[in-house]
Amino acid sequence: MKRDFFRKMGFGLGPDDTVPADPVAWAESQVETVPELTWPGDIPTAKHLLDQRAKFVYTDRKVIRKKFKNDRRAYKEAKTALRWETGEKYYESLEIAIRHHTALHSSAPVFERLWLFWHNHFAIAEKDLLACWNTGAYTREIIRPNMCGSFTELAKAVTTSWTMIHHLDNSESVGPNSKRGKWRREEGKVATVNENHARELLELHTVSPAAGYTQKDVIALAYIMAGWENQWTKKREECNPVRFEAKSHEPGNHIVMGKRYKQRGLSAKSKLIDAIEDLCAHPSCAEFISTKLVRHFVTDDVTPDMVQPVIDAWRATDGHLPAVYKALIRVVYEHTGTHKKFLNPEVWFLQSVKLTDAPWPPAPGLWKYDFKDRPNKVQRRPRGLMFQIGHPVYRPKQPNGWPDTEQEWLSPELLIRRLAVAKRLAREHMPIGKLEQSLAHNFDQLDEVIRYLKYCRDNPETWRSTSQDTQFLLPSEWMLKV
Amino acid sequence: MTVNRREFITACGSLTLLGSPVFSARAATLSKRNLVIIMLRGGMDGLTAVQPRDKTLSKARPDIIVEGTKKLSSDFNLHPRLETFYDCWKEGTASVYHATSIPYTGRSHFDGQNLMETGGHTPYAEKTGWLGRGMDAAELQGLAASLPMPLLLRGSNDLDNYFPTWMRLPNANTMEKIQASYSPGSELERTLDRIRHRPKAMMQEVGDNKPHELARVAAQELSREDGPRIAVFDLDGFDTHAAQGGSDGEHGEQLNNYDKVLRVLKDNLGDSYNDTLILTLTEFGRKFEQNGGYGTEHGYGTAILMAGGLVKKAEIHADWPGLKSKDLFEGQDLNATVDARSIYCSAMAACFDVDFRYMKRHAFWDEPLTDVTDRLFRI
Repeated sequence: MKRDFFRKMGFGLGPDDTVPADPVAWAESQVETVPELTWPGDIPTAKHLLDQRAKFVYTDRKVIRKKFKNDRRAYKEAKTALRWETGEKYYESLEIAIRHHTALHSSAPVFERLWLFWHNHFAIAEKDLLACWNTGAYTREIIRPNMCGSFTELAKAVTTSWTMIHHLDNSESVGPNSKRGKWRREEGKVATVNENHARELLELHTVSPAAGYTQKDVIALAYIMAGWENQWTKKREECNPVRFEAKSHEPGNHIVMGKRYKQRGLSAKSKLIDAIEDLCAHPSCAEFISTKLVRHFVTDDVTPDMVQPVIDAWRATDGHLPAVYKALIRVVYEHTGTHKKFLNPEVWFLQSVKLTDAPWPPAPGLWKYDFKDRPNKVQRRPRGLMFQIGHPVYRPKQPNGWPDTEQEWLSPELLIRRLAVAKRLAREHMPIGKLEQSLAHNFDQLDEVIRYLKYCRDNPETWRSTSQDTQFLLPSEWMLKV
Repeated sequence: MTVNRREFITACGSLTLLGSPVFSARAATLSKRNLVIIMLRGGMDGLTAVQPRDKTLSKARPDIIVEGTKKLSSDFNLHPRLETFYDCWKEGTASVYHATSIPYTGRSHFDGQNLMETGGHTPYAEKTGWLGRGMDAAELQGLAASLPMPLLLRGSNDLDNYFPTWMRLPNANTMEKIQASYSPGSELERTLDRIRHRPKAMMQEVGDNKPHELARVAAQELSREDGPRIAVFDLDGFDTHAAQGGSDGEHGEQLNNYDKVLRVLKDNLGDSYNDTLILTLTEFGRKFEQNGGYGTEHGYGTAILMAGGLVKKAEIHADWPGLKSKDLFEGQDLNATVDARSIYCSAMAACFDVDFRYMKRHAFWDEPLTDVTDRLFRI
């Protein structure tokens, strides 16, 4: 049995967990159905969070900017009060707590690793306050429930979600020959599509540039997508549910990668749905995403051999995700021990917490908030910690999400942060013997790990673990790479 | 691995031997030159920072007129809160390039900031930054004053970053022990080695990541002969839709933040200031007319503020487009008459002591940019 696999495919085993007899079967049993979030506290709905956002943007843009136009200080004060009232500095931290609690306590940690993977695949960049109210809810309500069906269903749900549409400006898209396009031109305004969403749907979300599409295909897909928008209203600005607005949609047929898309039935909505289905069925989509999965879990240096079984499973099942995950799990197990992956800061941190049984995240009882002032220190901690380790998960700078190779994560300051976090976790009390249990559960090269820890303590005759050992163990290569 | 001065010269030599017209023969005799880029996020308003003495401006912005400006030339005034910049101007080490912009005319911060860093035309299409590509071409090392590497620097292999944390760091002995777990010769080992050999000033726990505090450390590093030659800063908050105000308004406040960074850099660079160029970079300017909230909306043309001893002389460079409505971009923004990338490419050529054309090829895909090196910089 390969024990490194528990860290390679999940978050590792805690000191009091039982070691599964068959790791592959253990992992495979976790990916058939979507488990519940484990957070015992309140979980706000995406709808409620959109209401909060609506209140913030409307009050800021339409009320206080005008009211305090000549008084910079009063404007700043009013805006700060508005931030507290709408939870601008609260929800992101709570989302991280919900996410981490679930990662650490779920009965299906393999599923949870995949949840984090899909979130980063369908990443939402740090843009226009999305991290404050929307991105966390999007991972819970759009990505998570669609993780055990087909990839096509997941891609459809993401593409037509409020968060992705806002993120990639699809509401700005106006078909040049649409009704709205004509009105706009009559008013002397520009009427054109915004290609952002179409380009990323091709490049980042489905087929990747390997499919060989051209700028013409991007534009054609943008025409197909024009009309899918977040409805704008005076009182809520862009914060209204997604709808298909036929008045903005580019009429007619459009050819994307050689295939013509035309309206079926009464609504031109079908054009996008058909296009997504074809993109997801394209061979490049299976190859691109299978490779990305293998790169995330196995190694930066992916070989075609490693990916082939995953691609095969994808093709055999038309992208039925549990089948894809199972193929991936077998590939990961096979390469455990021979190929190592440098873990990103969040996964490394969660594994560190899991193995040391550290108290994280702050318990549900600590999240009472009156929306009148700054969230308290404990409530700010999850968000602050993610900033400190250089991985504020809801805030990648670009729509291509966080990088996934060692080189991108290895800057001096980023490594310093891991050293510092390890030192902090070393302050948490760990009963004698607990760390030994974790080590025994999670490391195939147990003797060498213990030899290293002994060396760090100047080679004592007899060695029992103390919480001090964690500051050596956590930033060691044993923990950074698996 | 750290590329020190000597290795850099060696690299130049070998390239010269290959017959490349890349590096000028003077490289070996020159002292180290530094390039600092200060990114002003949110859209810095060139018309507020360096104001044309033009009555149409006060008509378009009756409620956000800046009082107490300093006269720079017969045509332009400087915002009063750019005090250090004005000092530099008086001693001949500050200049302005006005009516310029990156080639981006959309008005999205996100797309614009992406393009100001990548130097490209299509948002998110490029995965590296123009400064990173330029550094890579000149084989230089840089220091980012931020935690994630800014996109601007991506593409270069020899990067260091500094961003102090309030968290306590392990002591030297602990780090030495941890290094024993790293595979010999690995990137991981090299990174920890670099941390262990950092100057003390970079290894103190500071809770304060205020830009001028970062500037102090960066200046110390830049002034070391074998230290980095490039530094990058980020300043936020130029997106003043409301209460932009006049002299003590929000835009002036942000300009003053830039000015403070400039002050700290100038004071701490010491003699190295003479061999340094400090340039601003922003995604777009702001609309010519004020809005209903006494602020301004996203615009197009803006100004680049240049300071440092490598500035040729105190001068305002501009092919001034005018402010009449027919002169404005889309009838509403200051026009840009020169591609800002021409200035950045020239600055890299001057600071890295490489040929402009070589830099243009490597950092900007050989696009038609204008060489303004001799006009703007002392080389």
